[in-house]
Amino acid sequence: MRHPFPDDGRVRGARPMRHIALQSLLFDRGKLLGALAGVAFATVLLLLQLGIYQGFLSTASALLDHVGGDLWVMAKGTEVIDNGEPLSAGARSIVTSPACVARARGVVLSFGAVRKPGNALDGVQIVGFDPVTDGAALPAPTVPWELARGLPSDLHAPLRVTVDTTDIAKLHLPADPVGSSLQVNGRAVYVAAVTRGIRSFALTPFLFMELPTARRLIDLAPGEVHYWVLDLRARGCAAEVAREIGARAPDLEVRTAADFRARTQDFWVKGSGAGTALGFSALLGLVVGTVIVAQTLYALTREHEKELATLKAVGASASELASFVGWQALFLAVVGGLAGGAIAFAAQRSLLDAGLTVVLDAEVVVVAVLSVAMMCTVASLASIRRVLRLEAVEVFK
Amino acid sequence: MSDVRVPLVRAEGVSKVYGTGALRTPVLHSVSLEVRAGELTLLMGPSGSGKTTLISIVAGLQRASEGRVELCGEDLSRMSESQVARVRRARLGFVFQTYNLFPALTALDNVAHVLRMKGASPREADATAREALTRVGLGDRAGHRPGELSGGQKQRVAIARALAGRPSLVIGDEVTAALDSHTGIAVMELLRAHVGPATGVLLVTHDHRLEAFADRVVEIEDGRVVGDRAGSFRATREEAGAA
Repeated sequence: MRHPFPDDGRVRGARPMRHIALQSLLFDRGKLLGALAGVAFATVLLLLQLGIYQGFLSTASALLDHVGGDLWVMAKGTEVIDNGEPLSAGARSIVTSPACVARARGVVLSFGAVRKPGNALDGVQIVGFDPVTDGAALPAPTVPWELARGLPSDLHAPLRVTVDTTDIAKLHLPADPVGSSLQVNGRAVYVAAVTRGIRSFALTPFLFMELPTARRLIDLAPGEVHYWVLDLRARGCAAEVAREIGARAPDLEVRTAADFRARTQDFWVKGSGAGTALGFSALLGLVVGTVIVAQTLYALTREHEKELATLKAVGASASELASFVGWQALFLAVVGGLAGGAIAFAAQRSLLDAGLTVVLDAEVVVVAVLSVAMMCTVASLASIRRVLRLEAVEVFK
Repeated sequence: MSDVRVPLVRAEGVSKVYGTGALRTPVLHSVSLEVRAGELTLLMGPSGSGKTTLISIVAGLQRASEGRVELCGEDLSRMSESQVARVRRARLGFVFQTYNLFPALTALDNVAHVLRMKGASPREADATAREALTRVGLGDRAGHRPGELSGGQKQRVAIARALAGRPSLVIGDEVTAALDSHTGIAVMELLRAHVGPATGVLLVTHDHRLEAFADRVVEIEDGRVVGDRAGSFRATREEAGAA
């Protein structure tokens, strides 16, 4: 008798199992929803923890990132941007002397005290920037970089500063603070513009202003700054410039912007333990998700042992049987992961409004996708092992 | 006449021992059995006699401790597990007491899935599965899940699944045990109809009423074949031929 589906020796693979695996998963709604909730929970936790971590990194180095430059010159021993010491006025001529330096911009960064209505004192970070008038061939970075009201040029007048939208309430300013005054380090300053979402790592309000105003507030002499930011004519000459400056002024330290950025991020995020805490929470989410998914897959496998043994009896290969679990794990990873991703992106805006920066960039998403995939793979191992150990003879028991 | 039929199963000197040392339990003692095409063979015996072990060995689901088994002309003793699985896929159909249907799949999908595993395209598998369900009288229940079917209907779906790929040999274990006598007869008629010049059926049962459908009855006790006689179906046919 001619066989209708003659065996050609090929292993059919996983595809015939997809329908049966997914139907079995969808059939048991309770288990399905439980497992999807587990994956979604793990995904949300993972994305938000990674996003917050990334947000911390970006917040910690925001000033460095936006001021830019190729080299930063600072007092010897400075480890982090927030803890700089004033450089003398004469430093400018030293840092601009190498031929490769196209432009030097001064930056003042110092903590200050603000007296709020009711006489309460609070901390602020005074950021003095150079509006850049020389080296016009180079593009001038915009500092402050995100303005909700006003223009950088509104800060030209003396004692004019910005406040951030997220700090208006904290500083007891009116909803529209432009024109309001603040007492900083005992001097009155006036709000001329409003930034949006520019916050320091420690949530101390940033007040942006031009260098002369900053010097007045912290009693620096004319020409004194905390940092000189150098834009070079060619990046290749950075080492040569650093050597020249070091030879002329041993009390100065020259770092590349990338190095200073990494040190600042390490100081705040790793040094503060925030990174460890976030990593632990993310790991906890993964463990909880793995347990929930593993339990679901294992329960489904056990419930279908007779049927799977029947398929083995009629010749299903090991890979076909394993794919029963594989398709289910894949479905949970994709659907649960997408649901978790949607929730995390929706939560991102709310958290930002609450003052927490969550950066869900491509890097974070890729790490989350790989982690959820790994979670579902690990969760499926016990079930796959059980399926592979299944004896076809079980069908007779 | 039966002696010249093609042997679907030829087991020679098959022994099976479970465990070792103090736990050593012999289940089969040098059993020889031939199941031929064109026959419905019943394997009968009391519980613990070794009949289920014997059919699982001849079906290639487990290995004999000793002896040789040929299934559809292929020597299983010399084959790897994957080669044996390939023979099962191509040659065998199974029916069980507890049906073993996937509860989430419709009757149609339960049948079609095995056909897809055997290499049929989805369209081909669906068409063949629908035809098989119609043959067992469930054409109008193709879209129902096992939970929506009676025990007899589930067993008929299981039979459709076993027969749809046109296997050379259908092996069944207590296929009527969970069914009432009327439904049991209907199920046996379906299996009987599968017997043809190149196909056969081998069933394990306790139920002597099934002898009415059998060409041969092999009796086994304490792991030994103790009887091999004509079943009522062949006897009736031979009597009708003689008359």
